[in-house]
Amino acid sequence: MSIVTVQLGQCGNQIGFEVFDALFSDSHCPQKFCSKRENEAYQASCKERFFSEEENGVPVARAVLVDMEPKVINQTLSKAAHSGRWKYGQHSHFCQKQGSGNNWAYGYSVHGPRHEESIMNLIQKEVEKCDSLSGFFIVMSMAGGTGSGLGAFLTQNLQDQYSNSLKMNQIIWPYGTGEVIVQNYNSILTLSHLYRSSDALLVHENDAVHKICAKLMNIKQISFRDINQVLAHQLGSVFQPTYSGEGSFHYRRNPLGDLMEDLVPHPEFKMLGVRNIPQMSENSLAYSTFTWAGLLKHLRQMLISDAKMEEGIDWQVRPPLSGLPTLGKMPLTKEFHFNTSIANLVILRGKDVHSADLGAFKDPALYTSWLEPVTAFNVWKTQRAFSKYEKSAALVSNSQSLVKPLDMIVGKAWNMFASKAYLHQYTKFGIEEEDFLDGFALLEQVIASYRNL
Amino acid sequence: MGRRRRRRVDPADAARALPEAIAVLTRTLPTGPSPETFRRAKFDRPEAAPALWRLLFCVLSPMPADGASPSLALEAQARSVKAALRFQGYPRRALAQLPDDGSQGGRELLLALAWLLARGPTLEQLLAQSRVRLGDEMPVCECESLASPGPAVPSVEADGCVDIRHLQWLMGKLRFRWRKLMASQQEQCALLGKIHSYTRGCHSDRSLGHLSVTETELLRDPEGGQQLLQRLERENVRLEAALEWRRRELVFWQWMDTVLGACPPEASQPTFLPKIPAQGAAELELVVRELQALQEELQGVAETRPYDPFDLLVDTWAPPASLHEQDWVGGHGPEWSASRRALQEAVRQDLVALQWAWERGGGLAQPHGPHRLVRTEAGAPEGRGLQATEVIEVLRSREACLEVVLGQLQGQCRQELARLVGTLPGLIWIPPPGR
Repeated sequence: MSIVTVQLGQCGNQIGFEVFDALFSDSHCPQKFCSKRENEAYQASCKERFFSEEENGVPVARAVLVDMEPKVINQTLSKAAHSGRWKYGQHSHFCQKQGSGNNWAYGYSVHGPRHEESIMNLIQKEVEKCDSLSGFFIVMSMAGGTGSGLGAFLTQNLQDQYSNSLKMNQIIWPYGTGEVIVQNYNSILTLSHLYRSSDALLVHENDAVHKICAKLMNIKQISFRDINQVLAHQLGSVFQPTYSGEGSFHYRRNPLGDLMEDLVPHPEFKMLGVRNIPQMSENSLAYSTFTWAGLLKHLRQMLISDAKMEEGIDWQVRPPLSGLPTLGKMPLTKEFHFNTSIANLVILRGKDVHSADLGAFKDPALYTSWLEPVTAFNVWKTQRAFSKYEKSAALVSNSQSLVKPLDMIVGKAWNMFASKAYLHQYTKFGIEEEDFLDGFALLEQVIASYRNL
Repeated sequence: MGRRRRRRVDPADAARALPEAIAVLTRTLPTGPSPETFRRAKFDRPEAAPALWRLLFCVLSPMPADGASPSLALEAQARSVKAALRFQGYPRRALAQLPDDGSQGGRELLLALAWLLARGPTLEQLLAQSRVRLGDEMPVCECESLASPGPAVPSVEADGCVDIRHLQWLMGKLRFRWRKLMASQQEQCALLGKIHSYTRGCHSDRSLGHLSVTETELLRDPEGGQQLLQRLERENVRLEAALEWRRRELVFWQWMDTVLGACPPEASQPTFLPKIPAQGAAELELVVRELQALQEELQGVAETRPYDPFDLLVDTWAPPASLHEQDWVGGHGPEWSASRRALQEAVRQDLVALQWAWERGGGLAQPHGPHRLVRTEAGAPEGRGLQATEVIEVLRSREACLEVVLGQLQGQCRQELARLVGTLPGLIWIPPPGR
């Protein structure tokens, strides 16, 4: 089943390119540990999901590119075309001549309705090329102007027009010390709108990925390209094909659907984060070997101590000893910074994957009281290695780890809002104070729900 | 029997007739126990019981014969059988009282089997369900799925409070599965369309024109073709056994009379109220009281007034809310007759709507059940069988009716919730925002 990707704004388009590139590279990576037949099945599955076929044989990404200015889109299109390996569709992009000046309200109230028909037509054409549509990826930044406002508008449209299809927004969480003054306002509005119309919000934090680049990849001058490539690697390791079940050797048809069913069925808990291990520069990779036991031990500790990478993990954090807290009582024995999960999905790729022992992830102490580990924890596996990593593990989790960043943003935005700073930029284009208040209320509710696990 | 037969029956033949008849019957059924098991069951021997529980489970649950259905434990099968028989209206209570572990009850199970065979086309239904399908089929009505309740799901006892977040989680999972199912079905349709159009002109039967998935697989995979042939042969055996059963079954029914005679007489009870579990007793008591009140009311009404079927319909058909209005039940006066008139009017409107929908829908000319999908070129002469456009129209009008009913039910639910909330002081009801 196919996924159609909508790339929005500068952020969305640059990341989208890296994602398709990572998916393509991985599926054509020479494999040492799996049979030719299996590799072909893997390639076919990846291809069907993310690329469509054209007459001359070059795969075309199932994507629609949207931006209010032409520069980034043209760069993206030509980069893909020049690679010669895959490309974007000739008519799959939409852009305007002028920018939108980082104004969320302009993106939502003006650009959105004005260009709605053209953009939805492009998406419709892409959908018609699919034999079956699993759902949509919408890649966008949370705090920018075009990407965020327009993205919120488009997601709502997709909800109306394709109500049965699944929608996952890939949201880029801005740097804490970002450049845009109103980024917190934009974040509040984006998140609150998306929470209502999207099925899942997969959050990629710029700060976290930046650290990965610095510490693990040893990159001296970190560019956006490096960050985007790490991000693309994470996404690829989640959505590339995996077996459909324990003991099965068929690749699962609908990973997006399975992921959503496992992680975000509750309407109040839609925020997801992704971690993966190992992550290192290609040079170091040649000299390293890993065991599943070691990888999984680190991954688990990353989860419970809310670390984003395998360096600098706080090994002191432990799950609470008393087991399941009784219903209704605040869990007093829980460590202050223990990261409780609602649900987790671990994806294992590589050699001897069936020998990996995941018992530690099934500990009920990791999870909230109202879900048993048998429901809350899921595993996907494939023997086929990802990219150049002989063994790799990814973890998608619905946990408390985004509460602190979210709370910080809400706090800062509220302070600005209390003094009515910069509000005229929004009210000028139809976003009233009430919309802000709705947004604050919704997000406070989300924070409270996550805190109360 | 003596009057019908011309020649005298040889006693040795007569002795063999019964086990042979039973042997033929078991060849027809999906998992037939031996004639010896049947004999033991008549005398209620415990070793016969498990086999018969399993047989009844296979007969009653609508699972495909070739599908790899997960084998349930005997206890779960026994519970499922009891539930299914109750659903079909099986009258003998002795079976419901058999222990769940499946260790007893051979004779009662025999009687249940005979009851199923006698009352309806059970054998024919079983054979139809498990027949080998060569074409790509699609049901045009829901009759089959509505008639059988499906395997009984073991109910989970909730001890103590249930966290509502868990329930919301489960609801959400259901919704996602629904959406995944929709996507899968669309995929299947798209792929079927491709196969049908690629194999145009390949079928030897001109009226079909193209191959189905099974037929395409036959060509691609000779090994699979062998397996298909074996399945067809097995089906043939069962069909022949079914025909022979029709010739021999008389002796079986005579024997069943003796089985019935061997049972102890059953004591009769007036009403069969369900057992109330310990928890939730308060709510269930309320329901039980209301049901008893309704029953008394019905009896009173039936006794005091001349029998008018429409009146009875109106009195017994009542929306849930009105059960709580003390004046309505057995009341008099202008209020009561006004609400009764309103009720009659509502029922008349419903009947009219149903009739209109049925007439508009046309009532499909073809019989119910699955139909083979055949794809024809636009403008080609119409073949025999249903046109897809007809079916789509009927389904659309039925969908519209169901949407109306859904709206009404949701409205009733909201009213009921509002009423419940009103009874609790200090509770504020905030309805969720529209989707």
